[in-house]
Amino acid sequence: MNIESPNNVCEESVFNTVFKTNSKTVFNYIYYKFGNEEKAHDAVQEAFVKLWENCAKVPPEKAKSFVYTVANNLYLNVIKAEKVRLKYADKTLKSTNETPEFLMEEDEFRGKLQNALNSLPENQRVTFLLNRIDGKKYKEIAEMEGVSVKAIEKRMHLALKSLREQIDGI
Amino acid sequence: MQENYLAKWLNNELSEAELTEFKKSDEYASYQRILDVSNTLEAPEFNADEVLMAVNNRRTLQETKVVQLNPFKKFMKVAAVAAFLVLGSYFYLNSLDEKVSTQYAENREVVLPDNSEVVLNADSRLSYSEKKWDKERNVNLYGEAFFKVAKGKRFTVATDAGTVAVLGTQFNVENRKGFFEVTCFEGLVSVTFDGKETKLPAGSSFLAINGEIRDELESNGSQPSWMNAESTFESIPLKYVLQEFERQHNITVETEHVNTAQLYTGSFSNTDTNLALKSISMPSQIKFKLEGDKVLFYAEKAE
Repeated sequence: MNIESPNNVCEESVFNTVFKTNSKTVFNYIYYKFGNEEKAHDAVQEAFVKLWENCAKVPPEKAKSFVYTVANNLYLNVIKAEKVRLKYADKTLKSTNETPEFLMEEDEFRGKLQNALNSLPENQRVTFLLNRIDGKKYKEIAEMEGVSVKAIEKRMHLALKSLREQIDGI
Repeated sequence: MQENYLAKWLNNELSEAELTEFKKSDEYASYQRILDVSNTLEAPEFNADEVLMAVNNRRTLQETKVVQLNPFKKFMKVAAVAAFLVLGSYFYLNSLDEKVSTQYAENREVVLPDNSEVVLNADSRLSYSEKKWDKERNVNLYGEAFFKVAKGKRFTVATDAGTVAVLGTQFNVENRKGFFEVTCFEGLVSVTFDGKETKLPAGSSFLAINGEIRDELESNGSQPSWMNAESTFESIPLKYVLQEFERQHNITVETEHVNTAQLYTGSFSNTDTNLALKSISMPSQIKFKLEGDKVLFYAEKAE
């Protein structure tokens, strides 16, 4: 994921590469935290506009952490005004040839998982989803959040534990 | 079980023993299911191209904002240039020399800052710097002028032929093409011509024609004759006499079979054209025909 380019971010091609490699993850990252697509879109825009404005000051290898920081700071400012509302609109499963009972039960389970995810602390949810959906390694998530790998492992462990407890009704 | 074993399990970092133990636990099935189902989760759709476009739009918008500031900047630039030009031309014009010139058949009197008087003969140009006048009394001359210099510092008349320097006196300088004459009427005049200095006492004159110095000539009177509306010549080639006639009467002179190198001694009126023509033609033994503002001099033999 490292953009090891000696070029300047002010160059259109370098900027576009940084955008294409990171914009989706920035979007998801903010979305997992905030549960608001619009805000997540805004955060991506804001982060990359800021990157462009500061392109001369930000070396290409720092561009990635720069956009996460900007997006995160934006979120920090907004959370005061708005309460976290999570909605996972798109959760289509691959079509299966299972029995209706199984599908119903599966649907029910998904609903439970949804609820359980929503009731997770924000940092555990973000860690869990970045790992599960975006396939991010613990190390990458640690970099994004600015914490140690061990802290991420802890969040992951606790997230799984809470999810199971919620779903199994313990 | 090691710390954070669930996280380790996801990362396939559990040892064989740990994994076996974990798999035997009651919760394992639940964890496995959570994993399976959560793997089917998807984040909302994200159109990277659209957002990139939005980002680029905002970028250009910001650039347009900068452009919007430009008219004022441009105005400032224009204003700065205009101010520079105005100030520059003011100082330039201020430092420019004063200029006085006369047309054909025109004389003009000029009073210099120190009350020295200059009378310009026809078709002459005089320039001097009023600002530097206190430091150096210096005038540039083309043509002919009579100077009545007030006493004071060195007074210099610079011409392309030579310079004339005095302290306070009355003198006449004539600087025409190929013709340079200085006549001193009062005091002492120093003439530098061709790098050679000549002291000219009152009543004498210095003459150089085509760069050749003629003998110094005695001159009488207290003023050049042209000041009394007369042009006087002493052994001057007819060519210069005719040129002077052109200047004084604003009449174009043409010659036919006339030797313009012959020397002329005499004077002609600067006001009466017919009298002047006679004054020139009689001693030179040539004839003339006056038609409007043209005159033709021709030799008798040609007829």
